Amino acid sequence: MVNVMKGVLVECDPAMKQFLLHLDEKLALGRKFIIQDLDENHLFISTDIVEVLQARVDELMDRISFPLHEKDP
Amino acid sequence: MYCVSKLNCKKSISGTITHRREIVKQIRAHRSMADTKSGRHASTSAATPLLVQSPENLECKNFQEYLRTRQTPESLEKLYSYPPICLAVFRELPEIARQFVIRILFVDQPVPQAVVSSWGAQRVAKEQLEATNCLSALSVWRVTAIPGGLAAWELSPTFKKSVRQVLLGGGKPWAITNSLERDSKPRDVAFLDAYAMSRWRCVLHYMVGTGNRSNTETEAISPDAVRILLHANLMKRDEREGITITRQGFQFLLLDTRAQVWHFMLQYLDTCQERGLVLAECLSMLFQLSFSTLGRDYSSEGMNKQMLMFLQHLREFGLVFQRKRKEHRFYPTRLALNVTNKEAAEASISVDEERMQERGYIVVETNYRVYAYTDSQLQVAVLGLFTELLYRFPNLVVGVLTRDSVRQALRGGITAEQIVSYLEQYAHPNMKLVESAIQSKSCLPPTVVDQIKLWEMERNRFTYTEGVVYNQFLSQNDFVTLRDYAQSQNVLVWQNERTRTMVVQKNGHDDVKRYWKKYSKSAG
Repeated sequence: MVNVMKGVLVECDPAMKQFLLHLDEKLALGRKFIIQDLDENHLFISTDIVEVLQARVDELMDRISFPLHEKDP
Repeated sequence: MYCVSKLNCKKSISGTITHRREIVKQIRAHRSMADTKSGRHASTSAATPLLVQSPENLECKNFQEYLRTRQTPESLEKLYSYPPICLAVFRELPEIARQFVIRILFVDQPVPQAVVSSWGAQRVAKEQLEATNCLSALSVWRVTAIPGGLAAWELSPTFKKSVRQVLLGGGKPWAITNSLERDSKPRDVAFLDAYAMSRWRCVLHYMVGTGNRSNTETEAISPDAVRILLHANLMKRDEREGITITRQGFQFLLLDTRAQVWHFMLQYLDTCQERGLVLAECLSMLFQLSFSTLGRDYSSEGMNKQMLMFLQHLREFGLVFQRKRKEHRFYPTRLALNVTNKEAAEASISVDEERMQERGYIVVETNYRVYAYTDSQLQVAVLGLFTELLYRFPNLVVGVLTRDSVRQALRGGITAEQIVSYLEQYAHPNMKLVESAIQSKSCLPPTVVDQIKLWEMERNRFTYTEGVVYNQFLSQNDFVTLRDYAQSQNVLVWQNERTRTMVVQKNGHDDVKRYWKKYSKSAG
C-alpha cells in the first residue's frame, strides 16, 4: 500500500526551515501546515498556505533588516 | 522534371526556426539553495520545477510564433490571399525553407517528399527537418499523395499565387502606392523620427503614469489605446487606484523600442475584430507600410473606411505621420518599418537608433546614490520604479537605491538582473572611466550590484515545487521500482531511500499513478 498526498515541496536553508517549524508548532498561521518533514532542507506543506507563508516570511525579513543608507547626511 | 541536384544548403545564419528575438531576460539568477546533502537527485535539478504561483512574464512572440499559435490553417489561408503578408512570411522563413519554396514555386504539381529531402546534404539534415516542420506549421505547404503511393509536398495554392504575384508583379496594385502630387512641404527623416518617438513616448508616459498630468510635451492617449494596454495585460484596472501598470508592463518598459512596437501591434491585432476591422486587411496594411520607404509620402486614396480608421490608430502611436486627419497623404515612420524583422532592422537603423535613444546619463555611487542627468519625464519615471527619488533639478535627478525601493520593484515583477542591466545600459560615459570599471565587466560599483542581487535573493530563500508525496511503501522493492520509473520520466523531485519517501512533480502524478496501478496488479 502506498500513501499519496498533494502539496508543495519547500526547499530552503536549515535556518529558514527552523522558522517554518516554529510557525507550525506555535500555530502562528492559525493551523498546522507541514505535512511531512523530509530532511534538513526540505519540507512538504499544504498548498493553500503558501501565500500566507510568503507574506509572513517577508515580514520577518523586514524586521531583521536595517537601512543601509542615511537619507540626510 | 524535378531538379534533383544536391543543393549545398549552407547553414542558415539565423540558425534556428525560432528567431533569436531576445525575450525579456527572466533569469532568476540566484536560486541558490544548495542542492547538497539532501537526497535530491542530480538528474532532476535540470528539470524546471513548477513554481506554485508562477508569475506570468511578458511573452514576446515573433511573427512566425504569432501565426503558428494564434491562427488556424483556415485563417492562415485567408491571410495568404494578401500578397504583402505572404512576402513578410516568406522573408521570415529559415533560409532553407526559403530555398524549398523558391524551388517548387513554379512547379505545377506536387513534389515527392523524397525529392525535397534529397536536396540537402546529410550534415544539414537537422536544419532541413526544422525547415520542413516550419513550412508545415505555417500551412505554406501540405502533404498530398501522388500516383504511385508516394507522399508529396504541395504549396498552398493561395500562398503560391500571392508569392508569384509579389515576385513577378500583377494583381491589384497596393493601395498605398497611388500616385500623389508632390508635397509642397515634404517632411524629412529627422522630422519623422522626432515625431514618431514623441508619439510613442506618449504611450510609455501614460504607462508610467506621467501622461495624465497636464504637461506641455505629453498628451493623454486615446481610450482605444488604453483598452489595448489593458487587453495586453500591460496595465490593469485597480478598484482603488484606477489603472495601474502590471508586472508585464514593467518588463515591457525595459524592452527596446522596436520590440515594444511589435508587441503592442500584436495585441492591437488581437482586438481588431471588436473594432470592426478585418485582421487580414490590417496585417496586409501593416506589412505594406513595413516595406515602404522612409521619408516618402504615400496615399490613402481608395482605402475603405476601416482601413482609414486603422491608419488613424497607427497615426496615434506614431507609426505614420499625417498632417491632418482628412489629408490623403501620409508618411510611414521608422517605427512602422521592418516591424517583424529584427536582423534587417538592426542593420539599417542601429546608427540612427543610437542617436534617437538617449546616451548614458546615470551615475551610480558606492553609497547607493544615483544621479541621473536627464530632463525626460519618462526616464525619471522608469528610474523611480526602483529608486527613491530625493532631489529634482532642471537637468538632474538624485535618488538613492534603498532596500524598500528595490523590493518594491521586485514585487512589481522586475528582476534584479533587469535593474542592473538598465543601470549599466544607461550608465554615464564617465562611469566607464573609473578604474574598477576598466578591470571588471560592469561599470557599476560591485557593492551596489551585489546588494541589489542580495535583496532579490532574500526574497527567494524558498523554492516551492508543487508536487505529490508518496510514502509508506510496504517494501523497498516497490519503492525502488516506482522511484526509478519516476526518475526515468524526469518527474522525480526528491526521494529518500531510507524513509521510503518520494516527491513527484504535480504534472507527473497521473503518469506515475497509472504505472503504480499496473505494477501492483502484475505483482500481486
